[in-house]
Amino acid sequence: MSKKTPKQVDTSLRQFIKDLGYISGGAALLTTIPWLQSFTPDKVREIKNEKARIGFIGTGSRGQYNLHAVMAIPHAEIVALCDIYPPNLKEASAICPNAKTYTDYRKMLESPDIDGVIISTPLYLHAPMTLDALSAGKHVYCEKAMALNMEQCKAVYDAYQKTNRVLYFCVQRMFDKKYIKGMQMIHDGVIGNIVGERCYWFRNHDWRRPVPSPELERQINWRLYRDYSAGLMTELASHQLEVCCWAMQMVPESVVGKGDIVYWKDSREVYDSVNLVYHYSNGVKINYESLISNKFNGMEDQILGNKGTMNLATGIYYLENEAGGRKSGIEQLIGQIGNKLYASVPAAGPSWRPETKENYIPHNILEGEFHVNDGLSMIGALKDGSDEILSAFCQACITGEKGKNIVEEAYLATILCHLGNQAMEEQKQITFPEEYKIPYMKFS
Amino acid sequence: MGTKFDILIINQNRLKSQELWCDIVFELRWLDQLFNRFDTTSETSKINKKAALTPVQVNPEMWSVLKNCQMYHIRTLGLFDITLDNFSKVVLNENNHTVSFSKKDISLDFGGYAKGYTLLKIKDIIHQAEVKDCFADFGNSSILGIGHHPYGDAWKVNFENPYNHSIVLDEISLKDMALSVSGNTPSYTGHIVRPDAREPVNGRKAISVMSENPLEAEVLSTVFMIASEAEKKQISENFAIQRIVEYNL
Repeated sequence: MSKKTPKQVDTSLRQFIKDLGYISGGAALLTTIPWLQSFTPDKVREIKNEKARIGFIGTGSRGQYNLHAVMAIPHAEIVALCDIYPPNLKEASAICPNAKTYTDYRKMLESPDIDGVIISTPLYLHAPMTLDALSAGKHVYCEKAMALNMEQCKAVYDAYQKTNRVLYFCVQRMFDKKYIKGMQMIHDGVIGNIVGERCYWFRNHDWRRPVPSPELERQINWRLYRDYSAGLMTELASHQLEVCCWAMQMVPESVVGKGDIVYWKDSREVYDSVNLVYHYSNGVKINYESLISNKFNGMEDQILGNKGTMNLATGIYYLENEAGGRKSGIEQLIGQIGNKLYASVPAAGPSWRPETKENYIPHNILEGEFHVNDGLSMIGALKDGSDEILSAFCQACITGEKGKNIVEEAYLATILCHLGNQAMEEQKQITFPEEYKIPYMKFS
Repeated sequence: MGTKFDILIINQNRLKSQELWCDIVFELRWLDQLFNRFDTTSETSKINKKAALTPVQVNPEMWSVLKNCQMYHIRTLGLFDITLDNFSKVVLNENNHTVSFSKKDISLDFGGYAKGYTLLKIKDIIHQAEVKDCFADFGNSSILGIGHHPYGDAWKVNFENPYNHSIVLDEISLKDMALSVSGNTPSYTGHIVRPDAREPVNGRKAISVMSENPLEAEVLSTVFMIASEAEKKQISENFAIQRIVEYNL
């Protein structure tokens, strides 16, 4: 956990929108990213003197990450903290000593002094806690993924249709500048037609945390057990599948896959290696791969077009007509002579080796410096959109304005994760079930 | 030979240039048939397959190449070694031009020789065709500049650090000169082996050698990657070298 001071974190949505306006042309931008419509500089000014009163459910590593981020938000005030694990609650209370502490979240939800709650708990608790909080009249921000299974996802989605409360899930790539700009470029045709999508997340780590006593194993290493977590799919793939659908503006109709425990054979119940193919009705496929016993390939959300390739996670794109990279020494020499120039050419070097891949010229999606997530942290990365989405949620707690597309995107991404797990568990192709389709989804 | 060959011929009419190109390609094909150890029908493969079992008769050019390699082996204090192991186990029979291996697991690898030898022969073909100005690049590591650039008095090449292409390590002017570069790259390390120790050179290091003779440049650039300081001094006395530079990458 990095110790961030408010000064280091730019949580100002105003600045964020301003930056986006510069890179994308203001108002036009907001029609393509409707979830940011409520955050124009004017609207941000309206809430300037107000504060959302926020309660935290779950104050472990991710909860504390969120705690630091919310502390830096001028329009938010942390009033309550809740955790069943005393060491985590104690740590959070040290960070935020004025907040009231609870060990039962239901008790906390009874407090009339809380506008919204931020849920950073293991996956199996997302749905019950979200539903309870909405019933208690609280606005809710919940970590991804949406819920432990498809039934719970649908229950949360249905509850959201009926409530007038705000609901956010941490789909932070929707608030990451390089993703927003990259998506605009994709939708403007910079890489041509999308012909494929490749997402992967590689780590070399057992995904475990130290356990002070054996009975806490499942509570602390909840990611490894099927009753608590849906493994790599919900923890990692959910972000990336959301990105794929955002780029395609469609949802895959079917999935096949293989999942195994290849290396970390330590009585865990979730796969440490997954490979899936999601199929859209037009034939485009998402190739998804995650492996946590080799980190060579890192993490990437790659959109392949017939005219270029967008590497959204690293914020770089490549154009097909620039393949081959820089001209060879002899080509440069011929060019020189054509231009009546005399200069040295970069010809000399250790032996040329045959290449299986052409070199491309990298272009940055955003100008200037931007942050790239190395994908290695179990807690979260800095400046990946998490701060902005939290800020947006806190603003919505004041205005009561629902976030457009956010629940829908979280829902479709989580359902796709569960369909992927089902395909791997049942060893067959799974078609998107009718009962889990929502009007938001387009399949063709 | 698993590499690429580029040549720029200046001041020739198109037909003559095409003829010259055809002659060069013919020579390249012939030499590939001689040296390519990955081609099972090559002369080198024939030797590698059988020489440990029985003496293998070789064609006249391969014979002279093997004698030439033996000579360079001696002149480089044993560091130039086409077996990458122990050249003394290669037995050359003068009477019937046969080669045999007196040790199992010996094989010939012309990786540190073939490009220089080829460029030496191409230099001769160019000379016979009366071409005055020409630039040939054999896989970047063996370069030949004959005459000069149309707008300069030589051919200028630079050497970029393979670990960081924004750094130019050297700029070299070639006028009737050959250049050979040996070294490691991020994707290709450990291919240069000191034969007596049988240990690959893994450091971030490169050597460039400039000489009128492309073959000697090639032999020395590899040898200097593995030689000690004392050996370098002694070997230098056996060769006419124009320029030799070591680089830390």
